[in-house]
Amino acid sequence: MNTDATDNSTWANDHIKGLFNDEKGTLDARIYNDEALYELELERVFSRSWILLGHEDHVPNTGDFLNTYIGEDPVLLVRQKDASLKVFLNQCRHRGMKLSRDDSGNARAFVCTYHGWAHDISGELIDVPFEEQAHCDRLDKHEWSPLQARVATYRGLIFANWDEEAPSLEKYLSDCKPYIDTMFNRTEAGTEVIGGMQKSIIPANWKLAAEQFCSDMYHAGTMSHLSGVEAGLPEGVSLDNIEIPSSGNQFRAKWGGHGTGYFVDQPGLLQAIMGPIITDYVTASPQAETASNRLGSRMFGQRMMGQHMTIFPSCSFLPGINTIRTWHPRGPGSIEIWTFIVVDADAPEHIKAEFRKQNIRTFSTGGVFEQDDGENWIEVQKVFRGNKARKTKLNVQMGLGDSTTEHPDFPGRIGGVYSEDAARGFYQHWLRMMTEPNWDTLKP
Amino acid sequence: MASIIDINNIISSSAADLALQQEVQQFYYREALLLDNIKYEDWFALLDDDIEYYMPIRRNRMHRYGKVRSREIAEYTNKDEFAHFDDDKTSMNGRLRKLLSDYSWSENPASRTRHTVSNVIITESEESDTLNVCSAFIVYRNRLETQVDIFVGERHDVLRRSDNALGFKIAKRTILLDQSTIMSNNISIFF
Repeated sequence: MNTDATDNSTWANDHIKGLFNDEKGTLDARIYNDEALYELELERVFSRSWILLGHEDHVPNTGDFLNTYIGEDPVLLVRQKDASLKVFLNQCRHRGMKLSRDDSGNARAFVCTYHGWAHDISGELIDVPFEEQAHCDRLDKHEWSPLQARVATYRGLIFANWDEEAPSLEKYLSDCKPYIDTMFNRTEAGTEVIGGMQKSIIPANWKLAAEQFCSDMYHAGTMSHLSGVEAGLPEGVSLDNIEIPSSGNQFRAKWGGHGTGYFVDQPGLLQAIMGPIITDYVTASPQAETASNRLGSRMFGQRMMGQHMTIFPSCSFLPGINTIRTWHPRGPGSIEIWTFIVVDADAPEHIKAEFRKQNIRTFSTGGVFEQDDGENWIEVQKVFRGNKARKTKLNVQMGLGDSTTEHPDFPGRIGGVYSEDAARGFYQHWLRMMTEPNWDTLKP
Repeated sequence: MASIIDINNIISSSAADLALQQEVQQFYYREALLLDNIKYEDWFALLDDDIEYYMPIRRNRMHRYGKVRSREIAEYTNKDEFAHFDDDKTSMNGRLRKLLSDYSWSENPASRTRHTVSNVIITESEESDTLNVCSAFIVYRNRLETQVDIFVGERHDVLRRSDNALGFKIAKRTILLDQSTIMSNNISIFF
């Protein structure tokens, strides 16, 4: 990592290692608001990790493209003639202008709007205006093509990684695949996207959001979302009449900082978010039985409910609710949230419509659950401006030392549903990505 | 996919009768006062039982994908796709219930808002007791200590005559916000 960001950083590795303690569960709030740490994150976390860009269904046909980001780097995701995918920096190598400026579409070529350098859909520079006159055959067009990233998919999800040395996506996902499959592998048909990418900016650090989806069932079961729950209760039923679920588990990936949590056999939260039709679809319908057969157990097909999950660093989703998002960092104090919805591709039309409707109602910019997350995160971020507030240790100790790898139903390192072991796993991996120079020591 | 709104029809329509124009504008000014003075229950009571409260997502698309400003599929998500809002009476009642909750952190304490409504154009409707009305809005939101958000856009309403105090109920409201990426931490207010 002998690069500018590292050379210029005021943070020595030993200091970074003091920001989080996995054994004690203590966290230094400067990880959320320090400019110099953020610059290191862009290089050491976002330029070395697998980042979710979208779903295969976003780019079904040759030339279909999605304009998106790896960290703060704009990239183009493009479907190729041979059905493979390419991801390359959305940057012309002449003066750095974007090659494409619309959100998505279908292209035969990407022509820079500044001086007209033209690129084919694989990202190769193929034509330069007045090339003979200006360059006299001296321009090696391949050499001056945009930077290419690695691309890999898992269950329809498309990830990209700049780092040639990083482990494959398969290895990167470590032991958490069974917990991803509860959302993306319920049927032979896989998932499809409900059209439309929702984007919004929240002035808060990206880790507040990513860690919450990784590890924080606590906020849902206690305070944050009580009014969201109220919004979905039938007439005449009040918060006093309902029981917030408390039985379930949390999983911390053995490598990689990924994590998930869920209730078991307690549909209360899922019901409050998605209503009775979807709750029945994912827990009791014939399609739910199919999912159980496919996933190998009723536990994974039907009995885990209200699941939250993060694939480190910035891919999060909620199985059963089916919102999926990438937390694109925009400085230490800002996230650009990209959200889309998936459904089982072979689900009945009325089920697809209900997933759409309930996601808009609950987990969107105007959603009755999401609204209150936005409120909490920006207030947290503002507090960290304080000199004392940012240096005071924060408590990440729930379930400390309580996890086991011997759970009868769930593989991997398992704690209680109101544990923070997955958060500790998230921050521990963040710490390793920030301080370990290469994959010799970082690898799974 | 048909266009969301036939904007050419609105542009070419003849001006409404002065008294009717006055009546509709005064309705909007009073409706704005309800929202800006946190009279949530009174505002939600203006939504008729068949209310469709809808705000699609806007996208950046090149011209070649269609006549962008004519509201064709290119710029706006369609009714099968994701949206910021797509609510009926039941879900709007749920939103009211959230607003009135002691635990509604996004609006408790409440935002200070100012809804300014202008550019009101009334066009004919097929139904005798309803009006199609296009308007522009600027909504300023100031919240807690220093948070400021500005929401600007266009509304397309179907207003239905009513014997309520303000003379109309809102049967349909399509909100076209002039943002692609939403520049606020949430949309916890109404338009």
